[in-house]
Amino acid sequence: MEAIIKVENLHKYFHSLHVLKGISLEVSKGEIVSVIGPSGSGKSTLLRCLNHLEVADKGSISFEGQFIAKADASGKAVYKNNREVLAICSNLGMVFQNFNLFPHMSVLENIIEAPVMVKGKAKAEAVRIAEELLDKVGLLEKKDAYPNQLSGGQKQRVAIARALAMEPEIMLFDEPTSALDPELIGEVLQVIKKLADEKMTMIIVTHEMNFAREISDRIIFMDDGQVVVDGAPAAIFVNPDHPRIKTFLNKVL
Amino acid sequence: MENLWNISRFILEGATISVKIYAVTLLFSIPLGMLCAIGKLTPLKPLQWLLELYTWIFRGTPLLLQLFFSYYGLQILTGIELSKEMAAYITFVLNYAAYFTEIFRAGIQSIDKGQYEAAKALGMNYSQTMKRIVIPQAIKVILPPTGNEAVTLIKDTALVSAIALADILRNAKSVVSRTASVEGYFIAAILYLIMTFVIINIFKYIEKRFAYYN
Repeated sequence: MEAIIKVENLHKYFHSLHVLKGISLEVSKGEIVSVIGPSGSGKSTLLRCLNHLEVADKGSISFEGQFIAKADASGKAVYKNNREVLAICSNLGMVFQNFNLFPHMSVLENIIEAPVMVKGKAKAEAVRIAEELLDKVGLLEKKDAYPNQLSGGQKQRVAIARALAMEPEIMLFDEPTSALDPELIGEVLQVIKKLADEKMTMIIVTHEMNFAREISDRIIFMDDGQVVVDGAPAAIFVNPDHPRIKTFLNKVL
Repeated sequence: MENLWNISRFILEGATISVKIYAVTLLFSIPLGMLCAIGKLTPLKPLQWLLELYTWIFRGTPLLLQLFFSYYGLQILTGIELSKEMAAYITFVLNYAAYFTEIFRAGIQSIDKGQYEAAKALGMNYSQTMKRIVIPQAIKVILPPTGNEAVTLIKDTALVSAIALADILRNAKSVVSRTASVEGYFIAAILYLIMTFVIINIFKYIEKRFAYYN
C-alpha cells in the first residue's frame, strides 16, 4: 500500500533531553494508527513533528513522497523552506488536546477561516461545506455560537470540523479527549469513529485504550522516545509479550 | 474684574491646542506603537535592540525633559528649529508610541501559543495568523491599558504650557494672575474633567463591543 506518511530515524531534543530516539514509521492511505504509551514517552512530540509544530533534529519526514525534512549525510534533518513546508503540512489536519478554537470567531467563522484565507475558497462555498461538516458532527444548530458558549466535547467536535474543512489527506489527533470531562468523551470518540468508517487516514495519540483497540488497524506503543511495538491491536492487547507493554497496560486498564 | 464668560472663553481657546496635540498624538502614536510592537517580536536582533533602546529612552526620561530637548536642545545641537507646536507633536507622538509599543507587545505576547499552532496547522502563514487570529484577540487585551494612556494623555498635554504654548493650563494660569482669583483654575479643571469623561466613556463603549467573547 502507498505510504502517505513516512518517517525515518527521527530524533528530537529539547535542550539536552532526548525526546525522540530514532523513530521510523509508515502510515498508508486509509490506515488508522493509534499511538499509545506512558506520559513523556514522546507520542505527542512525534505527532507534532509530522506537521512541523516541532522541528526535528535528525531524520526524514515525507508526505506522499515529498520530503518536508530530509536527512543530510550526517543525519541532520534539513527542512524545505517555510512556505513549502506550510503548503505540504496543510494536507495534514490536526486536532489538539486543548481544542485551540479561535475565541473571537463564531463556530462557523472558525471553520471557514482557513478554507477562505488559505485555499482561497469562495465564502458561500466554504459556508456550505462548513454547514455540512457541522451537521456531521451534530452541531449545526451551534453555528453562530462562540467557543466559550460550548462544552468541551462540543468544542472538540467543532475543532474536528474545522480541521476537516481543509480537506486533509490525513488527520492527526493529539490526545483529543484528555481535556474532557468523562461524560463528554463519548461524543468525541463517536465523531472519530464516523471518520474511521469513511476510511479517513488517521494517527491518534490517545489514552483511551479500549477505543484504540476497537478502532485501529495498527497500534504503536512508544516508551522512552522509541517505538517498542508496532503491530495489530491483538498483538498488543491480547498477547503482549513485551514486559514494558505489560507494565503499562496493567497500570491503565 | 473680567466676567466669567470672558474668562471661560479665553481658557476654552487654549483647549484648541490641547485637543490638537491630543488628536495628533493618538492618531500617530497608536499605529507607530503597533509597528514597533510587531518589530520587537520579529526574530531580527538588531531591530529588537534598536526598539529596546527607543522605548527605554522615551519611557525612561520625563516627558517634560523630552519636550525641552526637542524645542530648545535640538536647536542648540543641530540648528534645527522646530515650531513650538511641531516640537510638541513630535515629542508626544514618540513618547506615547513608546508606551503603546510596550502595551501592544505585552498584549500580543499574552495570546496563547495554541492559537498560533492551530493557525499553522490550518496552513495559515505568519502574517495571516497575526492579522486574523492574534491581533484581533490582542486588541481586547490592550483596550483597558490603552484607555488609561488615552486619559493620561489629555492631562499630559498641559506640559506644553512649559514651552509657552497657549493651552488650557497656560491660559488658566494667565487668567489667574491677571484676576488674582482662582476661578481660572476651576474652569480648567472642569474642562479637563469633561474631556476625560468623554474619553473614558468612549473606551467603555469600545470595550463593551469586544465583550462578545471571552
